[in-house]
Amino acid sequence: MNEPHKRDRLRLAVKRRQECDVVLSCEQSLPRRNLVVRALLCNLFIVLLLAARVSHAADPVHQQIDRLIEAKITGPVAPRSPDAEFIRRVTLDLAGRIPTADETRSFLQDDSKDKREALIERLLSGPEYATAMAGLFNVMLMERRGENADWDRFLKTSFAANQPWNELVRQILLPSADNEESRGSAWFYKRRLEKSGQQPTDYAGLTRDVGRLFLGVDLQCAECHDHLMIDDYKQQEFQGLFSVYKNVSIRNEKFPAINEKSITEKLEFISVFGSEHQVTGPRIPFGAEFEIPPPPEEQPKKKPDPNAPPAFSSLKLIAANLPSPENSLFCRNSANRIWFALMGQGLVEPLDQFHSDNQATHPEVLNLLATEFAAHEFDLKWLLRQIILSETYQRSSRTSEETIEGTYARARLRRLTADQHLASLLVATGNLQRLLPSESEPSEQYTELQKEFLSAFAAEPKEPALSYAPAVKQALFQLNESQFLNLLTPQENNLTERISKLQPRDVIDECFLSIFSRLPTVSERELAIDQIPDNEASRAARIQRLVWAMLTSIEFAVNH
Amino acid sequence: MASSICRLTTKTTTLKQNGMTHAPHPLCSTSEHQLSRRQLLGSAAAGAGTGGLGGLLQPAVAEELKRDDKQVIFVWLDGGMSQLESWDPKPNTQFGGPFRAIPTSLPGVHIGELMPHTAKVLHHTSIVRSVHTQDNSHSAGVGRINRGDPKNRGVVYPYLGSAVAKLMGPTASGLPPYCWVKPYSGGFKTADAGFLGAKYGALAFGDGKPPNNLLLNKQITAEENTARNELRAAFSERFSQGRSKDWTDANSYVFDVADTLMKRMDLFDESKVSEQDRDRYGRHALGRHMLMARRLIEAGVRFVKVNSYHWDSHGDNFNACQSLIPQFDRPFAALLEDLNERGMLDNVLVIAMSEFGRTPKINSHVGRDHWPEAWSVAMGGAGIKRGHVIGRTNELGTFVEDQEYDVGHLFHTWFRGLGVSEEMMEYDNDGQPLPVAHDDCFPIKELLA
Repeated sequence: MNEPHKRDRLRLAVKRRQECDVVLSCEQSLPRRNLVVRALLCNLFIVLLLAARVSHAADPVHQQIDRLIEAKITGPVAPRSPDAEFIRRVTLDLAGRIPTADETRSFLQDDSKDKREALIERLLSGPEYATAMAGLFNVMLMERRGENADWDRFLKTSFAANQPWNELVRQILLPSADNEESRGSAWFYKRRLEKSGQQPTDYAGLTRDVGRLFLGVDLQCAECHDHLMIDDYKQQEFQGLFSVYKNVSIRNEKFPAINEKSITEKLEFISVFGSEHQVTGPRIPFGAEFEIPPPPEEQPKKKPDPNAPPAFSSLKLIAANLPSPENSLFCRNSANRIWFALMGQGLVEPLDQFHSDNQATHPEVLNLLATEFAAHEFDLKWLLRQIILSETYQRSSRTSEETIEGTYARARLRRLTADQHLASLLVATGNLQRLLPSESEPSEQYTELQKEFLSAFAAEPKEPALSYAPAVKQALFQLNESQFLNLLTPQENNLTERISKLQPRDVIDECFLSIFSRLPTVSERELAIDQIPDNEASRAARIQRLVWAMLTSIEFAVNH
Repeated sequence: MASSICRLTTKTTTLKQNGMTHAPHPLCSTSEHQLSRRQLLGSAAAGAGTGGLGGLLQPAVAEELKRDDKQVIFVWLDGGMSQLESWDPKPNTQFGGPFRAIPTSLPGVHIGELMPHTAKVLHHTSIVRSVHTQDNSHSAGVGRINRGDPKNRGVVYPYLGSAVAKLMGPTASGLPPYCWVKPYSGGFKTADAGFLGAKYGALAFGDGKPPNNLLLNKQITAEENTARNELRAAFSERFSQGRSKDWTDANSYVFDVADTLMKRMDLFDESKVSEQDRDRYGRHALGRHMLMARRLIEAGVRFVKVNSYHWDSHGDNFNACQSLIPQFDRPFAALLEDLNERGMLDNVLVIAMSEFGRTPKINSHVGRDHWPEAWSVAMGGAGIKRGHVIGRTNELGTFVEDQEYDVGHLFHTWFRGLGVSEEMMEYDNDGQPLPVAHDDCFPIKELLA
């Protein structure tokens, strides 16, 4: 890390702290009011000091993660994941699908010592990386509100170029209609500003989502009153951000776009539990309030261009100051969500409940990741690499002795996302080439299958896809949906056709490598071999039964 | 208002002292410990409709459920049924309309002449004639009534069916806890679940038809289906060795529910019902759907909602009633008869209601408009007494005399009648305590058995 940069940040933190102390001393209200600001600055301070300290330690960050995690583990620890488990896990995380049988086979046969590191690099620079990340963040940020081609392109080009994460967020927070490459970022706002039925525009919902997704704070309750149980969540934090989004509207274009009106005066609000009128200017939750400049002198009465940028753009201030290395909450929330995506468990949970009474399970890990992520200019590939290189990530999900849940003593099972699940299904059954020869031109059959699959497997719109909730409709889909069962019918060199002529023993190995990305155990081989009769007539049907049972078992549905 | 804030704040403090405002610290308990019985009954397991971890229910809790297996049929007459032409007639008064009142099986109690069948079995249900609610619009009123019109705490409350699915879970039958028989489209309907989350939504049978993919695929024989499921279970079992069992159990559970449903395809086959029953319930949509509700309840579904639309008779109210009310009367009476005959009314609560009643005043289109001020709800069975008439309206039927009951009171009454324990009367929404029914309301004591 370069020294002047660090010093600047330190100075800034101290300056901000002084500013806030001035604000505090002017306040007549309870001293609690600005506790959060203090707490955050305090944290920032600690973070920076910590950063200074650890930068002297020459250890790479992934080793520091391991040290901090292991220090808290009591009881048994799972061994390092077997190679097969690792390649499946990391391919799902970085390519959005399970590995092919060939990929697994050659990885298992590779004797080189650094093959895991090499695989990680290959995947990070591979062609599927951007698609996988776009899928992950599309679901995280849009929560199945619907798809948009411009948004999809924005995400994919951003991840393909490894654009710094805070820059990507900045483009979401301040979309530019003039930049064809990135203008799809407006979909985040636009979709949320669309009216549903006779309901009025849900500005409050948009405000809430910006807080939840980019700062890890769910301020919903603070719309109407200070949160009753979370002291940090004051009504002004919500209302300050709300005052910004109240002035944003949909701009009528063929692509997603928005307009913004200037804020000319502070927003007045009252708690439902009180009668005292309060006011706030625009603000980033837990940050300082932005000054509203005096409106410009009366202009000649020309009809203003609704698409012209506002004289005073509070979105610009939000975009400049929210996704910045100085905003500790942004850094920690980003790190926490990426950690969650890879580990299946947030350092802070619920993911959108960052506050001073809800400490991280491993505060040092969170601070380390947040600081270093910021120090590495929000290089997403860097962060992914560090987490994946850690022994913590690479631990097996299987142990002979019971480990203590939540300690990272063994890898946690994670449900495949609906997108990973579908892609893996096509890879496993060898139908990818047939149905999706190129991503830009999906076959009609693929589009139809995808629609049905997502309606059975994806979370409902606006529901964060965080926990494993198997559903009856998924079971029914797998039991009876023709489009699903047809993937198992031998055709065009797919799995069931490819293995139809093999010896029973090879059929089984091929099934295991293709579906479970590993070789069978002795007992599994016995179980499976009984399924394959010598009788030619029933053989095809029995192979399909075997493949179906493996595809629908829990092992296929999780990243383990 | 003030007192309720105090209450909430006090509760908050207690919760905090008990450390309950946050998820349990991940370091202090194993996953097994986290799955307390209450959670099983109250949360995860209840999600059978569309998801959940309920495989863990068997068999430890099943016994308890069996002993106290209360169920609900909820008939929703969307748009608002006229109380004056049904439960609370006022013949020969200013707003009484052209229909007469007829005596019923309850001595001294009269209901509208359009309900002759129900009149004969009225002692199998009760009527609350003093319902007084807050909203006279459909758009907001439907949701408010279905959610029990709780205090606004910034969350979307669940509809009654989702609430019951959450609070009581599925029965031991293995069928989804919340089914919905309705005209038009079916499928997995999640909107009713509100903040409880999609898994407490309803499995809807559009026009009584099964959801997508419920029929065993034509390529698969019944034997093959059993064999493939056994093999799937064997693979899952091997995977779970040395790993958390929860996920395997959850996965198996939804396959089991799917299988149970597939085996009950007869529920969707009307030819399995006697001609006589089909006549008694009527061959129109509401009749067929109420008959299906009876069969779903017999099969062990916890909560069945039956929907009927087009009750919003702003114009030509009396002809509308003459056409609509008999469509309700026949199957409703048949339902009460059947449940009674089978000895099921001790355990099955039957409710019939709308989002409001209709104005006593007859408008210039010979219609009645929306009237939440004074209307009637029929309910009885399970822990709710039958054969009682609660409250009364004034002579003209315009307002309630004495104690008014809001839908919050009805929710309290139903939950009490269903045996929902005191400790379950509060949801925990990620640390936010939310009363399951309006905090200022209370059960109607006269109706509690």
